[in-house]
Amino acid sequence: MDIALATLLSPIVLFFLLGLGAALLKSQMTIPEAFAKGLAIYLMMSIGLKGGVAISEGDLGWDAGFVMISAVALSFLLPVIAYGLLRFTTRLGAVDAAATAAHYGSISIVTFVAAGQAIAAAGLETSGYLVAVAALMEVPAIISALIIAHRSPGSQESVAGSDRGELAREVMLNASVVVLIGSLIIGWISGEKGMKTIAPFFVEPFQGVLCLFLLDMGLSAGRGLRNGWRQLGPGTIAFGIYMPLISGLLAAGVAALNGMGTGDAALLITLAASASYIAVPAAMRLALPKARPSIYLTLSLGITFPFNLILGLPLYIWLARAITPGAA
Amino acid sequence: MHTRHRLELFIERMAAPRASKILEASGLTGYTILPAISGFGGKTRWSRDTDMSASSDMVVIISIGADAQVQAALSELERLLGSHIGVLSVAEVKVLRPDRF
Repeated sequence: MDIALATLLSPIVLFFLLGLGAALLKSQMTIPEAFAKGLAIYLMMSIGLKGGVAISEGDLGWDAGFVMISAVALSFLLPVIAYGLLRFTTRLGAVDAAATAAHYGSISIVTFVAAGQAIAAAGLETSGYLVAVAALMEVPAIISALIIAHRSPGSQESVAGSDRGELAREVMLNASVVVLIGSLIIGWISGEKGMKTIAPFFVEPFQGVLCLFLLDMGLSAGRGLRNGWRQLGPGTIAFGIYMPLISGLLAAGVAALNGMGTGDAALLITLAASASYIAVPAAMRLALPKARPSIYLTLSLGITFPFNLILGLPLYIWLARAITPGAA
Repeated sequence: MHTRHRLELFIERMAAPRASKILEASGLTGYTILPAISGFGGKTRWSRDTDMSASSDMVVIISIGADAQVQAALSELERLLGSHIGVLSVAEVKVLRPDRF
């Protein structure tokens, strides 16, 4: 209960709620688009660097390798479950369901960052290699969802003007993958010594920048919800809440099997429970253009992201504690 | 003044490279892409500031060319719009320097 209250009253969640409320009340407040993109790149650089430095200090062993393999396998599996649930419980067609399912197998890097803060506030430690796990979990769900979608009739027609390389470029070289992996490698090469020289920019202001970014996320989520909620039926909205819980439970199983520490387990659970709204929507516009963005974007950004941020994080920390009795 | 055709295509940003390729293959090698700010269509209101991925952003592609080039582009653009969100219109316009189009 203490963790739930501490998360809810943390500045990042309160700024998110401020943005969400302002957008729902039709406030004209905006954060300039280019500035918001700069904030996103800053946050990804910062967590990539910190993860890289942790790896340079010997934070990468066989255990981490097994976690990475399990996380990739989980990311392949989650869209299959999500697709089945969507087809069984909602009226979404095959293409809309596959595109939505891809979002729930992939991850949200902002939820990951917010979880890192909440886990630290709960007095738990996390490992740097989980940044690499986050980057690795971006892509498999997209592949999985495309395999599912291409089984439906008419989905294999080629789109005029398309070429073979464009989807691969978008999926493998999207901004979050490039910045996260790139910063991770830079942090690993430069180590603690190099990090000290840039810490005044990438470490100290991190919390404040995160507040700014969460304010913008609140505005985006609120506007998305206001514009797109009519497209979502009750079954689809419910999916946006119960699917993260299913994913989180499966990730808890993976964490327990790998003998992860409590903080690491909480972070892996959060990663699995989060839904993408940056990398996957762009890939879906290229690969499955007939899928409706008003459904998958509204659901992942307007329903699942706020749920995870406000209620999910304390729940996932509690779950991690429950599956790792006695671990730090 | 000389008569030419002006092709105006509203299309989602992610599909703009595909549309550009079609225009270039049809001989319409001069075109301009402008960002769109917000709008309403398909029962949904959209605006640039609601989507972190910018994948739902829309752009406007404007190209002016001879009738033969525009006609060559139309069938492929029609196929493109079978998959992607967009609106296409063609209008007759007057240009000052016909050798450029």
